[in-house]
Amino acid sequence: MNSLASALTARKAGLALCHDCRKLTPLNPKEPGTPACPLCGASLHFRKPGSLNRTWALVITALILSFPANILPIMVVNFIGKSDSSTIMEGIIYFFQDGSYGIGLVILTASILVPCFKIISMILILLSIHYHWQTWMRHKALLFRIVEFIGRWSMLDIFVIALLQVLVNFTNISSIYADAAAPYFAGVVLSTMFAAITFDPRLLWDA
Amino acid sequence: MWSNDFNQKTIGSKAAYGSEPTFNLDQVLACPACDLLIENKPVQPGEKLICPRCDEILLAPKSNSVNHSLALALTGLILFPYAVFMPIMTLDTMGIENSGTIFDGIISTWHTGYWLVAVILAMTSVAFPLIKLFLIFWISLNLKRKRIPGYLPQMMRIYVHSDEWGMLEVMMIGILVTIIKMHHTAHIHYDTGFFCFTALMLTALGSSLALDKTEFWRQIEHGRIQG
Ligand SMILES: [Zn+2]
Ligand SMILES: [Zn+2]
Repeated sequence: MNSLASALTARKAGLALCHDCRKLTPLNPKEPGTPACPLCGASLHFRKPGSLNRTWALVITALILSFPANILPIMVVNFIGKSDSSTIMEGIIYFFQDGSYGIGLVILTASILVPCFKIISMILILLSIHYHWQTWMRHKALLFRIVEFIGRWSMLDIFVIALLQVLVNFTNISSIYADAAAPYFAGVVLSTMFAAITFDPRLLWDA
Repeated sequence: MWSNDFNQKTIGSKAAYGSEPTFNLDQVLACPACDLLIENKPVQPGEKLICPRCDEILLAPKSNSVNHSLALALTGLILFPYAVFMPIMTLDTMGIENSGTIFDGIISTWHTGYWLVAVILAMTSVAFPLIKLFLIFWISLNLKRKRIPGYLPQMMRIYVHSDEWGMLEVMMIGILVTIIKMHHTAHIHYDTGFFCFTALMLTALGSSLALDKTEFWRQIEHGRIQG
């Protein structure tokens, strides 16, 4: 009755899709070992091995790292002997108070909204697989594509701080440095990107 | 069910997909996002084949893909050292000038002790973009000359995996944010590096967009069967 269940997938037809070159190769699921793709040599699987466990682990890592990333200061500004450190959120509030709404909004989106969106979306998608929620399928597929696409944009703040560090470096007058939150923040970006890579979206449709 | 015999590569399934389909392996493709088997219809450049179940773009052929990616990657490789090692801009505060390159940004982050951040910066803004450009250049050069050395599939695999780790576009937005952020407090001069970086970002993006992965793999496979 459900068009989902009756759809002929590559796995049902005994074909494995190569993740790297997208060649279809007949694969016997009963045969032990992992055969290699005849075209590119990548190991062939019907689904990415251990996908759910790895993705959960990376999403939880990102969630844990996002606490120090947001609580610790990400940047120190020295101005005539006075040093002032600020967290990501304080930096954004400073932009808004300063009247720079556009740039404040860009940093808010890249550093806070995008990482939150990625973590929440991945948890939602993973839960939907665990509990076999078979509704909103196309929307969940779209959600994952958005997560994949926006992943890299959270690096923005790190790039800006690195550039400021070099440009605003007038000895004794003013200088800017990255602070303790920077590696944690980079960790959040990396682990969410790896989570999107290890996740196999076909699991959504297997249900 | 499966025979290794090349001539017997036909799928006979009563499960679904019409009444009783029989198709050749070359005539089907699978959606990487939902695993649905779809009839491989010829698609013209500019058109797209979209998965009927999950809306994933399966085929989006580009016209003259090899030549375009080759030309853009070569331009990018020429621009690369200028974009990374030439000063991007100069800040002028109270008569003191200070300029910086992308490379200085990585070095100064290393000196603050956050080596992980410095390594990520180096990888995403220098190493991966350079690797990607070189791979696109080398693979399309070989395809253009109709030569498929044994290592080419491996190179193409590395390209597929490094695709999203080059972040020149993100760095470009980072440069623009820095400019907007500083233009109240300091006078900003744009230097050679700024224009080279902008051009590099555009050519690198263009070469990735011009590269039709399906067509590249098809040519690699075709060349290997013949050679
Ligand atoms: Zn392959
Ligand atoms: Zn699909």
